[in-house]
This record gives sequence, structure tokens and C-alpha cells, in this order.
Amino acid sequence: MNQPDLLTKYLHLQQWPDILSPSFISAYFIVFVFILSFIYYLMPKKARWTVLLFGSVLFYSLAGVSALLTILLTAFLVYTSGHLIANTNKREKKRILYFGSTVLVLLGVLFYGKMYALFRPPFYYLIPLGISYYTFSSIGYLADIYWGKAKPERNFFHITLFLLFFPKILQGPISSHTKLLPQLKEGHSFDYTKYCYGMQLAVWGYFKKLVVADRIAIFTSAVFNHYQDYGGAVLFLSMLLAAMQLYCDFSGCMDIAGGVSQMFGIELEQNFNHPFFARSGAEFWQRWHMTLSGWFRDYLFLPISRSARVKKIGKYFGNKWGAAARKSSTILIASFFVWMATGIWHGSGLPYLAWGFYWYLVIGSSTLLGGKYQQLRNKLGINEDAAEWKLFQMIRTYLIFSFGRLLTIPNDLRVSWLIFLRFFTKLSLWELFDGTLLEIYNKAPWTEYLILTAGILTVWLVDLIQTRCFIREKIAGWNIIVRCAFYSLAVLAVLILGKYGAGYGNTTFIYMNF
Amino acid sequence: MEKLYEILTSCCPEIDFKQETALVTDKIIDSIDLVSIISDIEDEFGINIEMSEIAPENFDSAEAIWALIQRLS
Repeated sequence: MNQPDLLTKYLHLQQWPDILSPSFISAYFIVFVFILSFIYYLMPKKARWTVLLFGSVLFYSLAGVSALLTILLTAFLVYTSGHLIANTNKREKKRILYFGSTVLVLLGVLFYGKMYALFRPPFYYLIPLGISYYTFSSIGYLADIYWGKAKPERNFFHITLFLLFFPKILQGPISSHTKLLPQLKEGHSFDYTKYCYGMQLAVWGYFKKLVVADRIAIFTSAVFNHYQDYGGAVLFLSMLLAAMQLYCDFSGCMDIAGGVSQMFGIELEQNFNHPFFARSGAEFWQRWHMTLSGWFRDYLFLPISRSARVKKIGKYFGNKWGAAARKSSTILIASFFVWMATGIWHGSGLPYLAWGFYWYLVIGSSTLLGGKYQQLRNKLGINEDAAEWKLFQMIRTYLIFSFGRLLTIPNDLRVSWLIFLRFFTKLSLWELFDGTLLEIYNKAPWTEYLILTAGILTVWLVDLIQTRCFIREKIAGWNIIVRCAFYSLAVLAVLILGKYGAGYGNTTFIYMNF
Repeated sequence: MEKLYEILTSCCPEIDFKQETALVTDKIIDSIDLVSIISDIEDEFGINIEMSEIAPENFDSAEAIWALIQRLS
């Protein structure tokens, strides 16, 4: 595979239609952000939000007229519906009708888009980009109005901006209107420190995505696309790497989105909080894709567990087996719907349903058996504060997540099962040492593995340090020469070590297809 | 108020409910705990907590929860 020439490489020039796809990975985007921020801070404060709207429309229009029209129509529907719901008396039947029908339409469009993708893969660009994210943001907004927790937004263009805001349109975070809308409307003053922090965060995101994630992707796609040629050991390694790849890809994009937003003085909601430091499956989901699990908690889990029917079922079990049974049954019922919905959100198809059910079993078992696990730990005399125990828990979490990943990577449950079997029936441990691994990277494999390992260690180290201090601030306190050298090295690392160009098929973010 | 503390600590013994003021906002209690707590409160105090009342400002601290209970009783 020839490396594209320098110009092509850095301008991300590709054949139509990729060149016109809204993307973070292009020099065009970076130039766009700088110019837009320049215009933003030039405008009078009250009008600054219009710059964001203009920029967002421009960015999204690259996805095509039909996509843009769909999202504008959605914004109009959400805006109108919000007002209709708010202005209808709580006791009138019309209220739930407005709310319910709008939610059904929104989910219907989302569902249709996913089905279309499932049955006609080359035409995925017909689904409005980011539909999974802005649909959920919209439903959250309408639900809060319906429950009387919020007032509808008066300005239609503010709603449009809320849905379209370009840093978060592609892959989230799923923004809550209470947190994002006010920030979008407010004209932010130029804050040099924040602007710089934003740029640095974005560079870190690019590093995770281009240097680490896309490099791992070459390995995992080579191995998983030819899984029959490899033994269990290599497949197991690939599974572990695939988990790291997803983390670096997704959190890298979140950092780019967050960093770019910070350049405009806007703080997007946190989507990751060092998920691999989680000590249990439940804790993992409080640290991974936080806005998604938060959304499901607020708009699915709580309403279902508070509904009359579920309460009734809970009471039935409560009367039979006591208060703990009442609580467990309520939680298990509500969780089931949440996890199946989470699976479907991630993909239409059996593997994703299986994945959702897998996590349901993991979380559900800890809910049901939590007490028993505690008893077992006490019996075995396990010290829960010991470092070794915490390490064990983190490794366990990583493995649970990785096995879950195995369900969805091949997009075929039979293949997942075959791969899983190989861990036991055809381990071929020697393949890790006999040069098989060196054949996976075509060019300079030792260098690739070196960069890969260094990259993963860097990510892990930065995550660790982040739990203790605000790194960007720490660096800002360094001597200016050291600082400039550091920043330059960071940018150079992304430019030189990053995996770019056509042919690798890995320059699109994984989560953009939602 | 004592009864409320009993309910809270029986659900989550490791949390100091007398000190914490961002239980929901800082995700100190998760959604499963929240459902548990709401369930127990409804049973104990004979009230019904609507969806509109389930917001951070009503559940971020023991005092806030107590104020909610008073209001709905």
C-alpha cells in the first residue's frame, strides 16, 4: 500500500464523496475551526451564537442536502412540539399525544435510518449523520418539558443550534439541553488560557485517534478479517487490542470535540472518566459513554421503574419474598429494557442484541447476587482496599468489556463463537513468538509495534496522571522553552506517526455510523 | 429526619449522607440506588414522588430529600 504524497496526506484529499464528508480528520476542519473562532470573537457578544449556527450548518451541509433538510425538519418538529406540550394543560389527553407522537416520529426516523444501513451498506451516507445523538438530545428536551421540569426554548434557531452544534454532532456527547443550550446562547469572552487548553485537548484527541487507535485498527482488522488463519492466542490478543482501539478512537474523538468547543468557551459534557479504572461492570458504565448511560437512566430506567405496572410487579415479588426481592425485581425489569435499548442503539442486528443482553446479565447478576459476592469475599478474607484486589478488579473489568466487544466485531455471532472456541481448542501460543505478528504490519513491523506499545502506555499513563492533577495546567507552569518544545513535539507526533490516507479504511471514527 | 438517614444508610452504608451535597450531580449514588431510595421513601412516608420531582436539586443532599418529603406529605 503506497503512502499518499505529502499534500494528499495532509489535506486528506480523497475521491468523491469522502472529500465532502464532515469529519474531524482533515486539515480543512482545523482551518475551519481557527477561522470560525476568529470570527466568533470578533462579533459582538450577543450575536456570537449566530457564528456557531452558521459554522454548524456549513459543517453539516457537507453531509448533503437531504441530511441537512432532515435535521432542520427535526428541529422544527421538536421546537413546535415543545411549545404544544408546554401550553397544554397537564390533565388534557392532548398533552401526552403531542409528546408521544413526536417521540415516535423521532425514534421512527432513527430506526428507519438504522434499518437502511443494515440492508444497504454502501448508502450509509443517506442517514443523517449524528442522528442517534441528536434524536436522544431532542427526546430528553421534550421529556423534561412534558414532566414540567423545563420550559420550551423560545427561539427556533437556538434549538437548531442545540441539535446541530458541530463539535458534538458527529459522535456526541449526547448533550442535555440544560447544560448545553445556555452555553451556546451566551456570547463567551475570549479567554486565552481556555483557548489554548482547548487546542491541547484536541491535539491529545488526535494523538489517541490517529497514532494509537488507527494503528491498532490495522492489526485488529487484519486478524479478525482472516480469523481462520490465526490461533486462539493471536485472536485473544486482537480482542484485547480491539477494546483499547475502541477506547482510543471514541475518547479521542470526544477530546477533539471537547477541545474544539473549549476554544469557543463552551464545555461539553464529559463522556469518559477513565473507564478502565472501573472496578465493576456497573461502575464501568458510569465511566464509559457517560452521556448515553446517563440518558438511559433519566429517560428510560427511572420512568420504567417508577411506572405503575412495574411497581405492581415489584409489590407482588415483595409480598412473596421480601423487600429485597421487590427492589431486585423492579431493577431487573427496568434494566432489561435499558440494556436491550442500549444494544439496539449501538447497532441493528442480532450481535448487538446479544451484546445488550450480555451486559444485562453482567449487571443483573451483580444486582441479584451482590450480597452473595460480598459474603464470598468476606469468607475468603479478601481485603477490598488492597492494591492487588483493585488491580484484579480492573483487569476483570477490561476482560468483561473485551469479551463483550467480541460479540460485535465480526458482526456475526457464529464467527464470534468460533473465535471464542479457538481460545480453548486451538491456542497456538507459539504464534505470538514465531514471526506471525510481524507479518501483520506490511511495512516496518518492529517500528509499528514499538509506536503501538509506546502509544498505549502513553494513554494509560496520561489517564493515570489525570486522576491526580489537571495536566494542561501543570504543563502551562513549565518553562516556556520546554513548553514550546513539548507542544511542537506533540503536534509533530500526530503528523508524522498518525495513520492517514485512503486505503487503510480506518480514518472514519467508529462511532460516526450511529 | 432520622428515619430518612436510616433509609439512606441501609441502601448505601459507605456514603456519609450528613456531608454529601452532590449525590446525584456527582454520581455518588447510581440510578439503582436512587430507585431503591425513592421506593423506600415512598413506602415509609406514604407519599408518591412524580417524575417531575426526580431532579438533582431534590436529591443531591439529605436535606434536599427531606425538604421534598415535607413538601409532598
